[in-house]
Amino acid sequence: MLEITNLHVKLEDEPREILKGLSLTVKPGEVHAIMGPNGSGKSTLSYVLSGREGYEVTEGAVTFKGEDLLGMDANTRAAKGVFLAFQYPIEIPGVATMQFLKVALNSQRKARGEKELSIPDFMRFVKERAAKLNISQEMLKRPVNVGFSGGEKKRAEILQMAVLEPSLCVLDETDSGLDIDALKVVADGVNALRSPDRAMIVITHYQRLLDYIVPDFVHVLSAGKIVKSGGKDLALELEANGYAEFVEKVA
Amino acid sequence: MIQALAKTPAEEAFGISLPHRRMEEWRWTDLRRNLVKPYPPHQNVVAANKDVERLIASSPFAKLTTHRIVFLNGSLDQAHSNFAGLTFELGVPSSSAVDDPVIHLNSAIEPSGLTLRFDASMDVPVEIIHIATQGAARAMALRNRIEVGEGASATIIETFVGEGDYVVNAVTEIHVGAGARLDRVKVELESHDATHLSYIDCTLAKDAKLNELTLTSGSALNRQNGNYLFAGENANALIAGAYLLNGKQHADTRLVMDHKVPHCTSREMFKCVMDDNARGIFQGKVIVRKHAQKTDGKQSSHALLLSENAEFNAKPELEIYADDVVCGHGATAGDINHDHLFYLQSRGIPEAEAKSLLIGAFVGEAFDGIVNDVMREAMVAFAENWLTQRKAK
Repeated sequence: MLEITNLHVKLEDEPREILKGLSLTVKPGEVHAIMGPNGSGKSTLSYVLSGREGYEVTEGAVTFKGEDLLGMDANTRAAKGVFLAFQYPIEIPGVATMQFLKVALNSQRKARGEKELSIPDFMRFVKERAAKLNISQEMLKRPVNVGFSGGEKKRAEILQMAVLEPSLCVLDETDSGLDIDALKVVADGVNALRSPDRAMIVITHYQRLLDYIVPDFVHVLSAGKIVKSGGKDLALELEANGYAEFVEKVA
Repeated sequence: MIQALAKTPAEEAFGISLPHRRMEEWRWTDLRRNLVKPYPPHQNVVAANKDVERLIASSPFAKLTTHRIVFLNGSLDQAHSNFAGLTFELGVPSSSAVDDPVIHLNSAIEPSGLTLRFDASMDVPVEIIHIATQGAARAMALRNRIEVGEGASATIIETFVGEGDYVVNAVTEIHVGAGARLDRVKVELESHDATHLSYIDCTLAKDAKLNELTLTSGSALNRQNGNYLFAGENANALIAGAYLLNGKQHADTRLVMDHKVPHCTSREMFKCVMDDNARGIFQGKVIVRKHAQKTDGKQSSHALLLSENAEFNAKPELEIYADDVVCGHGATAGDINHDHLFYLQSRGIPEAEAKSLLIGAFVGEAFDGIVNDVMREAMVAFAENWLTQRKAK
């Protein structure tokens, strides 16, 4: 589904490379965890995959379902099935959450040549998914993420994911700022979306999230490269020993 | 020292001198230089009925108002008006004593007008619409008075539409009586070749409430002045404004909140969108007189610049003579927030549509104060339509 080959990335206005030859293959149905210390390039990877401006790919390639992902606009990537759950979801004053979901879903459907959902069908579709994530009707009427607590913002991200039904979900530090109860709600939401044709990349600093979203593979990202890959036990190892071993290795 | 300037053709036609950029309040809007042609008042323009009806129907509120007062090319058009149930008096109200160039010009053009009185509450909006049909370049003037009696409430819409090259000068005197409420929406949708000048002279009595929105989107050159006198305690005014400008449009609003008595609240909130080479200006002055303690006066003006050549100027002024007041002002100007844009695009919304959504949300905040849902929706729909046309360019 996703094939990242020798990816080198830098910020457009800085010479320093952030990703330095990252390679990763993700197949449908798989959940990959990417762990690493601060500054290792985790968030950069999520932004490069989702199409944020300001990054320059200097070498390497990314294909998604066989197509060149890097040549597409952010909205085209989304319509093709890429979804980024933001570490810090953006507040958008004046745009009601429900309206936002409707425009987003219908834009994607239109881009894929599918029919737009009727308003009653859409409302039903969202309400079912919102209920599972403890998201009230009142929250859906509020502007996107405005005045939401940290936990509400993360639940709203997962709701968007559930509504947009992407085939590749990239979760960027979804556990940050969550207490254990909120983390469980979010993890349940994510687990409910696991399916044989959907892949996930779970980016996290801590092992804690992986107790709830159990990965098939764990990769250690350090200084812009994957330096070790393994099964879910690797996460426990990292929790016990920290990242020092990998940081030193690169230095 | 004021040096006498040679009269321009426009000044010759009006018989008075026009304000120019050396006058502090007119520094951004040099009327003397910008009104190059003569715009003689009282030209006979023959308007075809179908044009009048089409222009009436072009008001964003055409479908929701039944009470309508139509002024056609500067004169009352009784045939297209519906006065049923309204208390009014035809003729120009006693002239405002305010010394202002817009009012002087209004007098020079010899306006038409009426006085509308609301002694009891009226729950349906009344639209006063001015229509300029295609014709010779000319000047037209209106001077109306709206009085809302003690404890009464009313909703007034003032609409300006037209075609061709002309000047409209509209003075509105407003008196909101004790405990009365006025909801007022003005939409300036003049021809893109027109000049629109206006003055609001508003007095608020004790416990009066005024809630207004002015949408500015039509004329090439716009100047709107207003003076709001807080004459009775606990009066409250929300003055909202929205600009949707493109091309070379120029809109300049100058408002004075004059707090004469204690315990009044004034809120000014302007959301200005400028595209292409458009220029928006907001000048807001809050005066708190010596005895007007506990005044709560805040003004904010926010500009969204959609092109590198668009421009916004803000000039907030506070003149405070009382010592126990809460007053403040804030002004911002910027382009579309790129984080917002990326977030919307990352959810599959194409860039142009994402921008429209964000611009609509920005300007929409100015409409939030409109109490009447249908009227608010009409404003939202107008903005959406403006954005759709922008996207199509």
